[in-house]
Amino acid sequence: MIRLFTALAILVCGIITAQTKYEAGMEKAFALWSEDKPTEAVALFERIGAAEKDNWLPYYYIALANTTEAFTTKDKEKITGLLNKAQEAQDKATMLSPDNAELLVMQAMIHTAWIAYDPMTNGMKLSGIVNQIYEKALKLAPNNPRVVFCKAEFELGGAKYFGTDTAPICEQIKKSLVLFENFEPESPFHPKWGLDRAKAIAATCNEE
Amino acid sequence: MKALFTFTVLVLTYFTANAQHVISGKITDGKGNPLMAANIYLDGTYDGATSGEDGSFSFETAETGNQVLVISFISFEDVRQPIVVESYKAQTFKMRESVNTLDAVVLSAGTFEAGDNAKVNALKPLDIVTTAGSMGDIVSALQTLPGTNTVGESGRLFVRGGEADETQTFIDGIRVAQPYGATANNLPTRGRFSPFLFKGMTFSTGGYSAEYGEALSSVLLLKTIDEPTQNQTDISLMTLGLGLGNTKMWDNSSLSFNLSYINLEPYQELIPQNITWNKPYQSLAGESVYRYKFTSGLLKVYAAFDYADFSINQEDVNFEEPVRTGIDNNNFYTNASYNGMLPNQWVIHTGFSYGYSHNDIGINGVDVKNREHSSHIKLKFKKKITNRFKLSFGSDYFLTDFNEDYNDPNIFSFNSEYNNSISAVYAEADIFFSKDLALKAGWRNSYSEIVDNTTIEPRVSLAYKAGKKGQFSLAYGDFYQTPKQDYLKYYSTPDYEKTSHYIANYMYNNEGKVFRAEAYYKDYKDLIKYDTQSPQYNSTYNNLGEGYAQGVDLFWRDEKSIKNMQYWVSYSFIDSERDYKNYEYQVTPSYIAKHNFSIVTKYWINDLKSQLGVTYSFNSGRPYDNPNESTFMNSQTKAYNNLSLSWAWLLSQQKILFFSVSNVMGSDNVFGYNYANTPNANGQYMRQAITQPADRFFFVGFFWTISTDKKTNQLDNL
Repeated sequence: MIRLFTALAILVCGIITAQTKYEAGMEKAFALWSEDKPTEAVALFERIGAAEKDNWLPYYYIALANTTEAFTTKDKEKITGLLNKAQEAQDKATMLSPDNAELLVMQAMIHTAWIAYDPMTNGMKLSGIVNQIYEKALKLAPNNPRVVFCKAEFELGGAKYFGTDTAPICEQIKKSLVLFENFEPESPFHPKWGLDRAKAIAATCNEE
Repeated sequence: MKALFTFTVLVLTYFTANAQHVISGKITDGKGNPLMAANIYLDGTYDGATSGEDGSFSFETAETGNQVLVISFISFEDVRQPIVVESYKAQTFKMRESVNTLDAVVLSAGTFEAGDNAKVNALKPLDIVTTAGSMGDIVSALQTLPGTNTVGESGRLFVRGGEADETQTFIDGIRVAQPYGATANNLPTRGRFSPFLFKGMTFSTGGYSAEYGEALSSVLLLKTIDEPTQNQTDISLMTLGLGLGNTKMWDNSSLSFNLSYINLEPYQELIPQNITWNKPYQSLAGESVYRYKFTSGLLKVYAAFDYADFSINQEDVNFEEPVRTGIDNNNFYTNASYNGMLPNQWVIHTGFSYGYSHNDIGINGVDVKNREHSSHIKLKFKKKITNRFKLSFGSDYFLTDFNEDYNDPNIFSFNSEYNNSISAVYAEADIFFSKDLALKAGWRNSYSEIVDNTTIEPRVSLAYKAGKKGQFSLAYGDFYQTPKQDYLKYYSTPDYEKTSHYIANYMYNNEGKVFRAEAYYKDYKDLIKYDTQSPQYNSTYNNLGEGYAQGVDLFWRDEKSIKNMQYWVSYSFIDSERDYKNYEYQVTPSYIAKHNFSIVTKYWINDLKSQLGVTYSFNSGRPYDNPNESTFMNSQTKAYNNLSLSWAWLLSQQKILFFSVSNVMGSDNVFGYNYANTPNANGQYMRQAITQPADRFFFVGFFWTISTDKKTNQLDNL
């Protein structure tokens, strides 16, 4: 009898190992990312994405990692490669999960990176689209802190340039801080970033 | 015992299932250099690795049997290799560079592109209209590109020694039979299309694809916006008139329209005119685009109408009294196009257009009424067979029905008409031999009913990338065109006019800096000749004309070297002669200037929130025939100069004030001379200069956009 239990225990362990493969993979990918190895992290997310056919999260993080890297890269050719890769992953994620506020924010960020890449060409073309995306995201998830914060941050640039009142925008950023504090991600692997940057921007808001 | 048996079986199964196999190997590029950071994994599993500095990789897997090993790496084509895990042996994988990357070779001989998808942009979409002196006219902006001749009294596109009608215009791939507004003799016209509704354009000055025919010199491809970004209203108040635009979006569809009313009366009152206007130019024009998005395709319907009328008195050396010309023009154009995905990666592009033009022209009591119906039906299929081999083929059908009544109450009246249909088929292949070498080869056959003969038109272009930033291209093509309306209405047995293009191109492209040099040779055959002062019903016509054009076009654009400043410089040298029309022998025709130069600059002044634009154009003199001299076409006008300025001031995010002056220096440009038909008492032919309608052109406008995001404005369109 005890042998049977052992057998069952081993099997169950086996099943548990199989179940947590996703979790282990995601955790390892996040670890690689935090160790400043975005290439390896992205490679692992790609593998997870290829295995978990219905999960949008691995693709979301591929898009996020590549876009974040594009913002800090100077080499123009590399930026194009990173953003194309981000967009490719974004498209896959959107197919799996349409009308997802987090993915709308991601798309807006990719466009914003293109604007930063060449403001003269892409500014006029993409600003309207970015605004449109944030509007849609806000309708879907009015209390998602990333939606509120990223939208406000995007609007802040334009308002500063034209000298219009930034107070209502700063108000939104402050609101996002509260939303961040109360935000509960759906799973440990769902997006939950943004508080640090929101705090930093909120600080510059208070100065003015 | 039973339990033990179960245990053993289960454990065995478990461990067998978890037995590890090692998958290892090396990743290199086509030349055998190791690739670092490539992603290698078994498809659908978590098992994989990233290649190291020496390109090697190794990972363990518990999977068994048939699997697919996937290797992916930025800007390389994915490798998908089926393997059997148990019998897998370490191996080296060569990856091929993707031909879809930014730095891959492009087939670009002869072409200027502006738009989102162009890999190499000579012009950006906004440039078309932010060019000083262009006054929102697409055609005038194109005249700052090399390969064009500025012909001030016409305003149309003259490309590489070709006449204006040798250029065909297409909207969303469908032909526009009457691309220019109505005008009188020697008064410049404008393109009918406002830039508001277009997102990109391709301007080809030669050697273009087999998809396009019935154009000897050039094609201009305009693409309407696929998907507007938001609901918005645009209001324009101008010294010349009013404009109103609106875009409305629904879930799968959207509608944009644009209306404008132009009246030149206030302007003509203020600025001294070189001609007498009895009734100032006024026009009412509207355009609209409707788009509907299907799951796997996009339908666009474009429609434009315009009505224009004016009446002028022009001095004419052959008449004591000025010649009175009045024109009423009605024009309607519509096209519908559908672009969609079919199964098996086939792409379909189809559409049709219908154009109607009606002119009522009065010249000193003579009444000319003409109307033209024209249409184009197009069907094209395209398939990407592999990343490196694309195939397309299709067919065109053009119909024209023209009718003209000429009525001189004192002498006689004459009716001329013609109907013609042209059918064409074409096929073309794009082949990428590598990331550095590509070939486009195409073939077109066209049958014009009025000519009753089939053309054979091969087109080839080859591009080779030399180094990271430069590339060389060669192109060759044969082009045929049915003679134009002016001849067809009187000449019922014409042959095609024909030309061949030979083009060699070098292009250098480095982050915001583009240099392009192109040399070409064109030989013209079978051009129409006639034996009277102008083409008439009783002239004798033949197809015995011929000619050539050769030259060099240079283009430099830089938006990096000076902060907030963009500029481009164009220079064209052309040597061209032809024997056509009623020419005595082969000479340089009057619309050709040997040297054409222009520089366009745009400077953004951040403190003033203003964009300052300066455009300067120069042409050397153009030939004209002086009947007082014995040699034909032996005289030359003085050089042409034009300096234009514009200033766009962003009052707030959605309000713009725009000022523009063309020909600031007031250069008295002369385009040619009209000579009297008969000599005077002293045996001299008197003459009269063909000049600009006014020395300067002023424009002030206020543009206001109302949109949900409160950010968009019309700067793009100025």
